[in-house]
Amino acid sequence: MNIQRFTSDGIQPAGDDFAPIVESLGRQRKRIARVPVDRLLALLDDFSRRLLRDPRTAGLEGAMFLGAWLRRGNLRQMLELNLGGNLAALDGFVPQGRNYLAAKPHGLVSMWMAGNVATLPMFSLIPALLAKNVCLVKLASPEANGMDRLLAVLAESVAEGISGAELLKAVAVVWFDYRNQKLNEQMSLAADAKLIWGGTEAVRAISLLPRREHCVEIVFGPKYSIGVIGSKLLDSEDGLEAVVDGFVRDVAIFDQRACSAPQTIFVERNRRRSLGEVGKSFARRLARLPPKPDLDAYTTGQILQVRAQWAMDESKDVIASEDGANWTVCMDREPSLKEAVQSRTIFLSEVESWRQIVPLLGPKVQTVGLALGDIDQSLAFAEAATEAGVARCVRPGIMNNYESPWDGKLLVGELVRWVTLKP
Amino acid sequence: MITRQIDTLIGGPQYAATQSEKDASLTPILRSLCREVAGRCPAYGRFLDKFGGDPDSWQRPADVPPLPVSMFKRFLLSAVPPEKIVRELLSSSTSGQQPSRIFVDKTTAFRQSRALVAILKEHIGNRRRPFLVLDAADSTAAGDSLTARGAAIRGVANFASETVYAMDRDSGGDLSVQWDRVGDFFDRHRGGPVLLFGFTFIVWTRFVLEAERRGAAFDASEAVLLHSGGWKKLADQAVSKDEFSGRATAVLGAAPQSILDFYGMIEQVGTVFVDCSSGNKHAPAFADVILRRPLSLEPVEVGQTGIIEVLSILPTSYPGHALLTEDLGVLVGIDDCPCGRKGKYFRFTSRVERAGIRGCGDTFAQSRELR
Repeated sequence: MNIQRFTSDGIQPAGDDFAPIVESLGRQRKRIARVPVDRLLALLDDFSRRLLRDPRTAGLEGAMFLGAWLRRGNLRQMLELNLGGNLAALDGFVPQGRNYLAAKPHGLVSMWMAGNVATLPMFSLIPALLAKNVCLVKLASPEANGMDRLLAVLAESVAEGISGAELLKAVAVVWFDYRNQKLNEQMSLAADAKLIWGGTEAVRAISLLPRREHCVEIVFGPKYSIGVIGSKLLDSEDGLEAVVDGFVRDVAIFDQRACSAPQTIFVERNRRRSLGEVGKSFARRLARLPPKPDLDAYTTGQILQVRAQWAMDESKDVIASEDGANWTVCMDREPSLKEAVQSRTIFLSEVESWRQIVPLLGPKVQTVGLALGDIDQSLAFAEAATEAGVARCVRPGIMNNYESPWDGKLLVGELVRWVTLKP
Repeated sequence: MITRQIDTLIGGPQYAATQSEKDASLTPILRSLCREVAGRCPAYGRFLDKFGGDPDSWQRPADVPPLPVSMFKRFLLSAVPPEKIVRELLSSSTSGQQPSRIFVDKTTAFRQSRALVAILKEHIGNRRRPFLVLDAADSTAAGDSLTARGAAIRGVANFASETVYAMDRDSGGDLSVQWDRVGDFFDRHRGGPVLLFGFTFIVWTRFVLEAERRGAAFDASEAVLLHSGGWKKLADQAVSKDEFSGRATAVLGAAPQSILDFYGMIEQVGTVFVDCSSGNKHAPAFADVILRRPLSLEPVEVGQTGIIEVLSILPTSYPGHALLTEDLGVLVGIDDCPCGRKGKYFRFTSRVERAGIRGCGDTFAQSRELR
């Protein structure tokens, strides 16, 4: 079997050639382009309510956040921001001074998804549909990981003049082996826009695929995220527990595989709490998490290696779960970004000041979970960090909340073509 | 006391004890050795303090905390003063990577040598025989340090009545078989018992494939080919163990059961896990194998796959008693292998591969690219 197609009715074999799928998506282009954006927002609002109620989707990791994100008010706000306040331009020409402006779909958007977050495809698919594109979505894994259930609930959603089932005619969600060059090339050549999520190797390989001259490419590449806990917060009597709680939530969700999950957390030296005490706070909170359901041998090995390495080096320390490779807190005083191990492995690194971290930052650092305990310091840090290339500075606990802009991009704005009329 | 117990296990039958007998004999020795080495190797001492608890509480070999084998690449783990080191063993390493460095004292070297002989004689018998090394002579060049290949060749050479190196290095440093030399070796010992040894990937690429290409075949019906290491590269070329053995026997004119793969590593020289006639690998009396489940790290049940941990009571000069490898294996059974050997038996399945999908958060933080 070459192409595997995920539909609201389950997973079906779909041959070894994208031509029929691309042709069928092509037939939907005009139809979806004519659906008023308000109808799409109403349909997605209904989807958001259903997915939180429906037993097939309510328990999915990230469903709660996805449900909130899909609400009409949130998506409308996102569209206003992404389209510079010209939301109506999605439905046709709108006056712009003496001229007219419209936001037209690119056409077919081919999307290569990363395998780390079950709900991730929705955060690309929905913006692309709101921009009225037809979408060919390649999942990273042959397992549906809940995508089939999300599609089923979306198919049952309704709003005036449109149903989820009709909307899904403009979507093909597929999987095929990533090494299948022919299918990757077909998918790339069919695209008017390519949207790529993934690690370095995947991004490089997909970017190199042949594409049509007009095709635009939007890349959400490999990123690394960090946390910073400031001395002011650490010197205060309380506040640390809430910060630790937030960071541990950011670590636990998606098993720290998302690019927005903190890997290294810098701790400013302070008068009240030693690095070891901060480490113990993290350990206590991590120990309260439900056990991980499973773990691959590679990550297990990586966890055991950093544990040993941090234990054997006398300038470092480590606290680890006693029940296998469940969680690990590594501590040192080296201002560096540690290689991400993931799966509840936190590197706490003591620094004199957040200013020591700034030289480490660059475009590959996406999110900083910021807990400096001082707004002026936070602003100064954010200025320096974002100037260096960081995309977001947010409080601990919401690091993985997908929002717009993401990685510096207003996605819907990139998924439309701005066209003009000067009569 | 411990010394006598270790020597008894090395000198005795290698596969006669049941697993429960092995657990009972190895556990107190491991307790004593780990405690002793931890006292002389501070880094290992810290590791044991952190993850081992009180060695007296260890009830079975699986209670010994396994040290990830890669730590020998990151730390100089010696438990003896420099003047006591008689040899430094070096792992092969890919470019840019640190090799493992293993510091061997006289006691360890002596035990490693005896141990390898004790194991191999139970598989190939006592008799010395002509030995064709499927490698170049400089692999065992004399000096203070020795590579994994050199150590293995020297160990197997204990069974040699005459040693011939099949390969030379060409001007580019690549290995090439000297077919005249090889032909002469097989002509001189036609039909007689001979011993061959080489690293699996070298045997395959330089000897078997090249012999097939040349149409070379030998009359070595009494040959035994021992080989070890390098399965990842063969797996990358989609060469299975059966295919390797089948085509090697065809070139040599030997019986299929005379191709013996063994599992071992530079960090535990002397402790090898050799294929039996049923194709399973057995732990000798002075060593053990534990296959650990990912995540829980508990030993797997029979029939299940786990991360391979190897235990050995040979080293006294470095903390190599319980090592977690980067390999996966399946625990085939305990005490009931059709070959008659007791204890656990397993099969190597693959290297632990990086999970295919680790997502957009999977980046190398310290690479220059990050800046």
